[in-house]
Amino acid sequence: MSVLRNLTSGLRTLFHKEEVEQEMDEELRGFLDAAMKEKMRSGMNHAEALRAARVEMGSVDAVKEEIRTSVWESTLETLWQDVRYGLRQLKRNPGFTAVAVITLALGIGATTAIFTVVNAVLLRPLPYPHPEELVYVQKNLPPPYGINPYAGNREFAAWRNQSRTLMPVAVYMYTWFDLTGGGEPERITCGLATASFFALLGVRPALGRTFLPQEDRPGGPPVAILSYALWKRRFGSDPSVVGRGVNLDDKTYTVVGVLPATFVIPDQYKIDYALWVPLAESETGAGPFRIVRVIGRLKPGIALRTAQSELDTIFQAILRGRAKMSIVLSPWQEQITEKFRLSLFLFLGAVSFLLFIACVNVANLLLSRAATRQKEIAVRLTVGAGRRRIVRQLLTESLLLALLGGILGLALAHWGKDLLVAFISPNLPALEPIGLDYRVLGFSLALAMVTGIAFGLVPALHASGVSLNEVLKEAGRSGAEFRSGMLLRNLLTICETALAMALLVGGGLLFKSFLRVRGIDTGFKSSHILSLTIDLTLSKYPTAKDQARFFQQVLKGIKNIGGVQSVGGSGCPPLGGRTNSQSELAVEGRSEKIPLTFVAKVSPDYFRTMRIPLIWGRYFGEGDREGSPSVAMVNESFARRNFPGEICVGRKVESWVRKNDWLTIVGVVGDVRSWMDREPDPEIYLPYLQAAEPYMTFLVHNRKPKTL
Amino acid sequence: MPDKSSGLVQGTLDMLILRTLALEPMHGYGIALRIEQISRGVFRVNPGSLFPAFRRLERQGWIKPEWRPTENNRRAKYYLLTERGRKQLKAETAEWGRQIAAITRIMEIVD
Repeated sequence: MSVLRNLTSGLRTLFHKEEVEQEMDEELRGFLDAAMKEKMRSGMNHAEALRAARVEMGSVDAVKEEIRTSVWESTLETLWQDVRYGLRQLKRNPGFTAVAVITLALGIGATTAIFTVVNAVLLRPLPYPHPEELVYVQKNLPPPYGINPYAGNREFAAWRNQSRTLMPVAVYMYTWFDLTGGGEPERITCGLATASFFALLGVRPALGRTFLPQEDRPGGPPVAILSYALWKRRFGSDPSVVGRGVNLDDKTYTVVGVLPATFVIPDQYKIDYALWVPLAESETGAGPFRIVRVIGRLKPGIALRTAQSELDTIFQAILRGRAKMSIVLSPWQEQITEKFRLSLFLFLGAVSFLLFIACVNVANLLLSRAATRQKEIAVRLTVGAGRRRIVRQLLTESLLLALLGGILGLALAHWGKDLLVAFISPNLPALEPIGLDYRVLGFSLALAMVTGIAFGLVPALHASGVSLNEVLKEAGRSGAEFRSGMLLRNLLTICETALAMALLVGGGLLFKSFLRVRGIDTGFKSSHILSLTIDLTLSKYPTAKDQARFFQQVLKGIKNIGGVQSVGGSGCPPLGGRTNSQSELAVEGRSEKIPLTFVAKVSPDYFRTMRIPLIWGRYFGEGDREGSPSVAMVNESFARRNFPGEICVGRKVESWVRKNDWLTIVGVVGDVRSWMDREPDPEIYLPYLQAAEPYMTFLVHNRKPKTL
Repeated sequence: MPDKSSGLVQGTLDMLILRTLALEPMHGYGIALRIEQISRGVFRVNPGSLFPAFRRLERQGWIKPEWRPTENNRRAKYYLLTERGRKQLKAETAEWGRQIAAITRIMEIVD
């Protein structure tokens, strides 16, 4: 109750200042009168009584001041006074103000801009209900493979059936289809999802519905959900699209729904799924092995670790000790942002260095300016302002500067953010548009405040510590010694230089690393190489034989073009964006399987064309074809990791396409780097004539660089 | 009364004012005079401490101001003790008694 009374009383003082002042005067006058009367009663005459009463009371103004400062609203008033005074000072020195504000704006603006990105990527929760419950399942492979973001359909089925900690478990993957009918045929990336997937994300379709459980099983009816973009682009936003058919790889799928425009999967893969079809995984997970991305939602009350050990137990039961792997469960947001976290924080750290430099700069400016205000401060001290009051007032000026700098900085950040985002967004996960939200605003306000105090406090303390005597003695003399704070300013300059050096050195080192990455030996020579990728529609080339024959013709045709020195083909060329991998590769004579190997189907001249050196054995030849003994080639890393100290040429590994078909390793080639920041992965190559796929990238080495 | 920076002193003044007003409503000088007289000159309150105290007590809701007309057509600000003020006075009196007893005990030990 007293708080309310305090508040209303204080407000009255602020808004009815005249009235309150008058009342105070009246009361004090009454006090004086009563004192006089009392003194006259005890015998003094009028004049004596008056004087005695006045002495007793002391200075009326002093009393009024005491009364005034005893309540909270006076602090507000003095603050307001300080602000007005500060603004006047700033206006009187426009040059100084401009320089300081711009310096601060650059520092605060840059920091805010980076924070905007940090906020959008790391701090903002995923745009789904209860995003903290969403988890992502990964496999932990034995070193040196590490964490792998894919699981297998077998274990997924087991988790779906048995897990009691995750509800639901869902999968999303991608594949490619040829979309025909209703326009130009186009090859689209399409998503595979379980019926639980959309439910897990709490997505409500814009039209129609999502998958039913009976559609999400092998042999279920072919249905599809369109993305908003595809619906708009290809179907003209036709509201009656539900129920229509769409042709994928010459098979008709019925459209059951359309996703809302806002639907986007905020992961690091940033795949644009044109439409979705059911994953249609069997209950037991039997059937051909495929990799899947598994996500789930923790049941309320279940801890992450509990769920992880449950999934791991189920997984180990499936593995039955055949391979050493375990399950890692992480919050989905963490899994997505993992890669970016370090670099984003480094970025933030670097830019705060910049801000620090700006602060030191402005502090220096303030110190120099304070030197010229010595007299003013000295006079104020003499009149009776406490040191605290002066410091408060100087600090208010600094905060004003910081606020102005902050506002300008925020504006700079807002305008520059598009540029920044365009520059670094390839390195960021797919997100809703990065922008200024309340968190960013709060951050830059707080930043401005802290900055203001940081650069303002020291100069304020320093300036207010003026010795009255010295300054007043100097009155009259011009530019003589004064409390120059030379030492302090020198210190600040040293600080600033050090910070700037640190930034420069850091930047230089980063740049050097960048150059080094560029210069890394990729293992092949890409000069004078042109590439062409062909994806075959399964309907026209259904079998491996058809595909192999087609590619054979293409290779022959390209070879005959004038100017072509050699041509090679690979299903998964280096840095080509497509990778295939095989887990659990069996080796003849060994019980333990090789956990992870990357696979590529290549033509005989591939290695020669890419100038990948042959280390041991032989290249594939035209003799390695359908009907001939199954062969394979491996790269150095594979040989080193899996056959350390032995010769692997001549050893056999088991084909994963045809059981009991053993591939003889006939050659070892040099490593090719797929990633710049890792050791090369072990790879195994198969001749395309023995194991064709419906896609191939042709790499043409041409002599004359222009004519092709 | 010495400076009001000592918390105990400020609290004591508040209590004395409340006690004075418990007898009858008074104006500023009256309260100062009463305190000086009854304490036989030990406590002489100056307006610099008195009036801020009035503000404080007012804000707490323990006293209530009232303007009353005086002779010569002026008005004087009288203060009344409120119900809450009365309760507060009782509480503070009890606490004061406790403190006094404790101090006395300690002072009597030292010999």
